[in-house]
Amino acid sequence: MSLDNFKDRNAGVQNYRLLELEPTPTTGWGKFKQVLIRSVKLELLVGLKVTIREMFKALFGGQMHTTKYPFEKLPISPRYRAIHEMKRLLESGHYRCIGCGLCEKICIANCIRIDTRYDENQRKEVSDYTINLGRCIFCGYCAEVCPELAIVHSGRYETASEQRASFTDFADMLTPLDELKKQKEFPGFGAVSPNADENIKKTPLAY
Amino acid sequence: MSEVKNMKNKTVTVTIDGKKITANYGKTILEVARENGIYIPTMCYLTKVEPIASCRMCVVEVEGVDGMILSCQEKAVDGAVIRTNSKELETERQNIMKLYDVNHPLECGVCDKSGECDLQNKTLEFGVPEQSFSAKDMFRPVQNWGFISYDPSLCILCERCVRVCNEIVGSEQLQISPGGYKSTIVNTKPENDCVSCGECMAVCPVGALVSTDFKYTANAWELNKIPSACALCSSGCQMYYDVKHGSISDPQEKIYRVTNEAEFSSLCGAGRFGFDYANTTAFKDKAKFEQAVEALKKADSIAFSSVITNEEALLLKNIAQETGAKLVCADAAGFAKFLKAYSSTSGRNFWSANLKTVAQSDSIIVFGLRVKDEAPMVKNHIAMAVKRNKAKVVYMHPMEDYAISNLVSKFIKYEAGSEEGVAAMLLEFLTRGKEMPDSLKEFVEELDIGNISGESSVSEEEIESLKLEFWKKKRFTLIVGEDLYNHPQAENIAKMLGVIERYSDFDLLIVPPRSNSLGVALVCDDLEANAEGYTVGYNAPGDFVLSALGGGDLDMPAINQQEGTIATVDKRVVPLNAALGYDGYVLNDLANALGVGKKYTIDLTKELPENRGFKAVEFDSLECVKFSPLGEDLRGYELKTVKKRASSKLEDVEDLPSFDGVVVYNCNSASNPNPFTQKAKLTAKEPKLIGSKQFAQAAKLSDGEKVEFEAEGQRCVRVFSIDTKMKGTIALNPTFDMGLSAFAVSSYKFYKVNISKVGSADE
Repeated sequence: MSLDNFKDRNAGVQNYRLLELEPTPTTGWGKFKQVLIRSVKLELLVGLKVTIREMFKALFGGQMHTTKYPFEKLPISPRYRAIHEMKRLLESGHYRCIGCGLCEKICIANCIRIDTRYDENQRKEVSDYTINLGRCIFCGYCAEVCPELAIVHSGRYETASEQRASFTDFADMLTPLDELKKQKEFPGFGAVSPNADENIKKTPLAY
Repeated sequence: MSEVKNMKNKTVTVTIDGKKITANYGKTILEVARENGIYIPTMCYLTKVEPIASCRMCVVEVEGVDGMILSCQEKAVDGAVIRTNSKELETERQNIMKLYDVNHPLECGVCDKSGECDLQNKTLEFGVPEQSFSAKDMFRPVQNWGFISYDPSLCILCERCVRVCNEIVGSEQLQISPGGYKSTIVNTKPENDCVSCGECMAVCPVGALVSTDFKYTANAWELNKIPSACALCSSGCQMYYDVKHGSISDPQEKIYRVTNEAEFSSLCGAGRFGFDYANTTAFKDKAKFEQAVEALKKADSIAFSSVITNEEALLLKNIAQETGAKLVCADAAGFAKFLKAYSSTSGRNFWSANLKTVAQSDSIIVFGLRVKDEAPMVKNHIAMAVKRNKAKVVYMHPMEDYAISNLVSKFIKYEAGSEEGVAAMLLEFLTRGKEMPDSLKEFVEELDIGNISGESSVSEEEIESLKLEFWKKKRFTLIVGEDLYNHPQAENIAKMLGVIERYSDFDLLIVPPRSNSLGVALVCDDLEANAEGYTVGYNAPGDFVLSALGGGDLDMPAINQQEGTIATVDKRVVPLNAALGYDGYVLNDLANALGVGKKYTIDLTKELPENRGFKAVEFDSLECVKFSPLGEDLRGYELKTVKKRASSKLEDVEDLPSFDGVVVYNCNSASNPNPFTQKAKLTAKEPKLIGSKQFAQAAKLSDGEKVEFEAEGQRCVRVFSIDTKMKGTIALNPTFDMGLSAFAVSSYKFYKVNISKVGSADE
């Protein structure tokens, strides 16, 4: 359809077609006859047939589809963007974040802030990190820009709490040290591509 | 040689990238290109120093010349056809970048320079796609040099730091330790000799030299740069305050560091590191405000320091006119009188030299100014003159300063208090054989040089030897400073200096004692040095104190919390901007309560007195950052120099006063010039009385002893410390810890004291 067709406001020339419906009864007898036919033909049960069949399948056929939330949860897409978490280095257990401030810079909701300092080992230390979840729009830019794959989105989507801030305490966002072995790489936004190894070019070091 | 002489003031026509350009002879190809907006990439080039020529990035092709030419050091010659871009040049530049990138740690994520890094920018600009060169990496530990930390593995050895340390600062502290790939920058002298100016750090194109205090606390892109001028001394150098919120829990803006247009201008240690003196605790205290208004109404004197803006000075003047109070400015009154006396004999309202002409001169006399400590920027320009023009520097002072011995070619010591005699000897020597009115000739003839020489202990031979120093020299500058302004005979000294400037070859530079002493002297006439009766102090002691330092009766904004202008040693009016917010009352509010205020303080900028050299321009039309492509300072505007009739009336030289016994000299170090920098975290120091071994013997003191004495009507308790390199029998007494009283010092800088011991330093 071209634009002209849309602009044509004259509905009369469109190709409308009337459905061939039975005429609505107008007389008292006619109306009574219609009620009688609809009741006796048990059209209601025709509709319920499907429901009852599925009910029996679920109860006795072992084909129950209901998830008993919160006891059961459905798996979510790896690219789902829920509450942020911070990964650790697998070898040392040290947090991966280097405090470069790129997440802070890229955040379009302006909800990330980092405090860094010069520590005793002459390294950059992240002294504090916070995300204001009241402003976060879960766009995933922070995870995408992170050069160290440190900040990622977890699959933790249940965000009902008395204090949202408790989700973003730096210490709490980090993988617990005793669960370090279970730490999984984030496969979503900003993750390394599956063929990353092939793309790496080594620096020619002569030694 | 004669050919070069003939070419002077001539122009050359060159063609750069097809564009015909006419330029003055003597300019380099790069300078000509930059003046005309043609881009030639550089790494090591720094406008403010002589070409370094270490990076070879600025190569260009000249038709008819084989190979590539370094545009930074090759002069543009007539008829040259220059190409700044070609495939070969592009490859050459890309290769240079590849070499710079060899083993440069990939730590941009944490590096402080990331975001404003020349190496980062140029690597991206030349699209270095991969690393084809390599070298064995080696262990290069980070070194901490006072305020500065040096990371050799980030260093690209462009030599900028070495060059500014030698050529601009004159410290000769940094050097290259050559060794091919193993080369590093080395700090050759012990840490305490470094003036801690941070110039090396400012010019570092990468993150090799950074401020230890600032390191890893903020990223370049987070900081909001607020352009302003440094108001800690009269040089009024261009600077930016880099501000950002304090921390996650502290949303209040905070100054993180001070940066500047390091390509063109410099800063000293005080300007760069003494920035956090803002009055942050101020709030609107209504009751105190009412009291302040009452106090101003009944005040007999309004005392103030000259570390204030021109607008504040004008407000104070207007308030004083309204209430009939006397204006008292201890630290500018002497200077104002000195300036007036000077212009009576020199026939001009301002001195003729400025910092730029100091750097261009080849013979310099410094008289009555401990230049390294009191005017670090003047010292820098002297260093430039020495390094570039092989200038001879004659330093005349009662105390030798070993820290600038590498710059000074002759030190002439005179007795403290004998400045008038020394000025007379200089007058006699410098105006010899010059055309002068008869009355002046008579004055010179009547001078009893022998007697003066005896009393000032400057021998005639020493003065005569200046002839040898200045042999075949062409551009002369005489720099005078703070010691003279509060001398009992200051006015006669000023008149003699005026005569020297008018009739000799010497240009004169009068260094104002505080940041805006010149502005205060111009805005307020009839400044008094001593307060009488009920006194309201504005950044100065008094019965009711309005203080920007905090702790007064009513808080006032510090100079980095307000807009305004100051007049500099360059006779330039430069604007200041507010780096931080301020919640309390300002002087304009008080003026408004008295009916003489304006809507905003900066409405007064256009009302600064035009008859004293100011221009009637709006504050907002003044620019904080303005340099020509070749680095000429064009900020603000220049005060108008007026020439007038000069009198030739000098007073006879009186008997010179003598200072026997224990004499101290009021002097703060360059990095901590006043109580404001003492409030700052980095520049604060423990006040120590510093003397030589000789002084210790004379005053019967030993190192580390706690002493007590009276200075400027205040009891000073200080630890005495011996500086083994110092000579002479005069000790240095800092005033930065005296609070506002430090601004109320109006006496001669040398004075006798009675020192009593009160214990050792540990007690």
